[in-house]
Amino acid sequence: MVSANPTGSPLERYEAMTAAAAPVYAAWRTPERPRIDVAIDTSSLANGARATRDAITAVVAQTNAAVDLGQNHGYGMQWLQPLVTVTFPDGASVVYGPITAAEATTIVDIATGRVPATSTLAVGTIAGERAGIPSLREHPFFALEPATGRRLIHRLGFTDPENMQHYLATGGYHAAARMLDRHQSPAQVRQELIDSALGGRGGGNFPAGTKWNFLATAPGDEHYVICNADEGDPGAWVNRVIMEGDPHLLVEGLLIAAYATGSRGGFIYIRDEYPLAIARMEQAVREAEAAGLLGDGILGTGVNLELRVIRGAGAYVCGEETGLISSIQDSRGMPRVKPPFPAGSGVFFKPSNVNNVETYANAPMVIEHGAQWYIEYGTERMRGTRLFSFSGDIQRVGFMEVPFGVPLAGVIDACGGMLPGQQLKAIQSGGPLGSMLPAREVPNLSMENAPFSALDALMGGGGIVFLGDQVCTIHMAEMFAQFVEEESCGRCTTCHGGNQRQTEIIRRTIAGDGRREDRHNLALVDRTLQFSNCVHGQFSPKIVRNTLRFFSDEYERHSSGRTCDALECEGLIQFRVTNQRDPQLAEAQAICPTAAIVGAPGNRSVNDALCIRCGACTDVAPNALVREAKPATPRILALS
Amino acid sequence: MPLETESRAQIRALIADLRPDHGDLLAALHRVQHEYGFLSREAMEVVGEQLHLFAAQVFGAASYYEEFRFDPPAAVDIRWCSGPACRARNGGGIRDAMLATLAVPMDGQTADGRVGIRLGQCIGTCELAPQIWIEERATHTNEVVGNLNAAQAVRLARALRDGATAREVLGQDVLRG
Ligand SMILES: Cc1cc2nc3c(=O)[nH]c(=O)nc-3n(C[C@H](O)[C@H](O)[C@H](O)COP(=O)(O)O)c2cc1C
Ligand code: FES
Repeated sequence: MVSANPTGSPLERYEAMTAAAAPVYAAWRTPERPRIDVAIDTSSLANGARATRDAITAVVAQTNAAVDLGQNHGYGMQWLQPLVTVTFPDGASVVYGPITAAEATTIVDIATGRVPATSTLAVGTIAGERAGIPSLREHPFFALEPATGRRLIHRLGFTDPENMQHYLATGGYHAAARMLDRHQSPAQVRQELIDSALGGRGGGNFPAGTKWNFLATAPGDEHYVICNADEGDPGAWVNRVIMEGDPHLLVEGLLIAAYATGSRGGFIYIRDEYPLAIARMEQAVREAEAAGLLGDGILGTGVNLELRVIRGAGAYVCGEETGLISSIQDSRGMPRVKPPFPAGSGVFFKPSNVNNVETYANAPMVIEHGAQWYIEYGTERMRGTRLFSFSGDIQRVGFMEVPFGVPLAGVIDACGGMLPGQQLKAIQSGGPLGSMLPAREVPNLSMENAPFSALDALMGGGGIVFLGDQVCTIHMAEMFAQFVEEESCGRCTTCHGGNQRQTEIIRRTIAGDGRREDRHNLALVDRTLQFSNCVHGQFSPKIVRNTLRFFSDEYERHSSGRTCDALECEGLIQFRVTNQRDPQLAEAQAICPTAAIVGAPGNRSVNDALCIRCGACTDVAPNALVREAKPATPRILALS
Repeated sequence: MPLETESRAQIRALIADLRPDHGDLLAALHRVQHEYGFLSREAMEVVGEQLHLFAAQVFGAASYYEEFRFDPPAAVDIRWCSGPACRARNGGGIRDAMLATLAVPMDGQTADGRVGIRLGQCIGTCELAPQIWIEERATHTNEVVGNLNAAQAVRLARALRDGATAREVLGQDVLRG
């Protein structure tokens, strides 16, 4: 625990804290005994990091090994989780992965030096050198990251995110302390932000400094800073990485924003699905309070800030800023018409500022290094670096920090290309209100808003999903249509009614009942939706619109041709027994959850009316049955 | 004010530090649900008294959110990831297989209250797609089961339906069949 220093100027108080933290961190970086850090984050835990840590702890105890145990946050290579870092007394740190419980003994032996550090499990060094092990920075996954190293997430792997002293000893809170030491007035801080052209990372890229000006000049002295950590777009988890990997960075960003806007209260609204992020942010807030960096009289100045973590409860539109505000304020999180914007009327009807996690998290480095330093990376229109999470049918799923403007083709290369045997078919970005673009547009796309907007698409909040050629885009469109329908708050009839209609039509198409007039009706629904009051309704037809435009042939084959080339759409495919003698056929019959495989051995068949096309049978008996296109049945027009 | 019963007093104690007009409603609902597994009518009344809201306002807000429930939860919930990376790998087939096995709709539970299935949202562990989470109420366990296929999903749902515990199905044997 870091405790507050009772005397001195803000910087002196701060320096007293860092003086105490420095030796603690130095001992962690160059430990007396080797230390094994298991990455503890949502990704590593899902991959079994807890079992890994328990196994390593047991081996250390049994063998009385002279090693210590610790934790860090994963480096971005989620396909190699659970990641483990071994730090040797000379300060060299080697990352290994994937390390399951079965590798516990090997890792402990590597740490104690019984076996050489070079192991097939070694991924790379993040500090110091070890003969035969490349630097992790040379890994192709990081080829697009800034040559001078990470900026926003530079602490990942190098600190224990639950240790505030590590944050302090690595320059944390320096920007805030210097600012409070009257180094910069609130107006100067806002100007620095404006000069850095830091844009909102929630997707809109609205200049943060300009937005802070709105709040600073708003009437009254009860202002609030609100952090949007709702991160509802499936496939985007970059906010989570900041909160789990460097929670004090967000606290410091909010402190800077509060000072710059005259706010004494703040909220961090985190989605319910992120329990570890919630726990780490709550801890960071408590620690910062105890250290006198939050609360009343911060670092001995007259600046006060009370920060609170609010746990969401699973509603996508609560990510919309007015929905978020109303959710904090004891009510249904329904977005409302703007204006008034939050700076006019925000939480408790007081002037407020809403920014994304990553937007606030950029503020400390802008203030620490200045706008000129900040704009070394990025493009004319979008300055700096940003976090992206990449998923789907690529070889390497994970996150990285890249300058705006890097080519999408380079991203695909960094991610190792598509999985064996697959071709890229579609790029899904911007979440459910975003877009779906075809592979042929890759050469025209780079990681900034403009090239996406030019295609009626959205780069969005940082999540990009790469879909392979076994995926049916009409099926995907149905998934998103359903999502936006379910998540409509219900205020606008255009939105809740329009989205029901849109989903029905797409769903009918994948059931094999597409109609000639559907395209026209979808266009009508699209236009209607655009008259909704908030962006949810306005953008909800985008993916379907993209699909009809860029995957028009595929749509037509579903609608008029009644075929799904990807063999996904329920109404257009069937399962058929192809090999009666395959011994696994009996297993397929047993696994079928609807008992759709009927008949005695030698004479088995699939009852199409019972079959739900789940694929359990072909999972267990891939050579006994096929998933295939349903033969076209002549369509008879009933005369009534 | 209704008679103070022991159960009301217990609920009240849980949220005693929360205040009206202070942005505390979500926190109150989370605490109650964590403790009891769902939001009873009585609990919503007590929350309303504490935060100076009508029970209707409390229910109105709570019912807006996917997470809050108004009936006792199943002993084990299967949380199915509805995200795109999971969907790209037969996530839909996995869902349908489990629903058929349990003979329940999405967000339903078996008649004996043993197993439920709920819609989940992507948490950014897409390297394990397609996936589900197993949530066990008694132990507050929440474990990801990734790289699943439809056949494994059927085995897992059958095992839970037939009385296996979360711990047992998480041992890989069930998945291998
Ligand atoms: C339906 C909907 C959901 C949204 N979800 C999020 C979200 O999860 N996170 C976020 O930062 N912004 C989200 N936004 C955008 C916010 O309304 C707001 O513009 C943003 O938080 C502003 O922060 P920024 O300027 O730092 O980007 C969403 C918008 C809409 C319409
Ligand atoms: S899509 Fe299922 S975890 Fe991301």
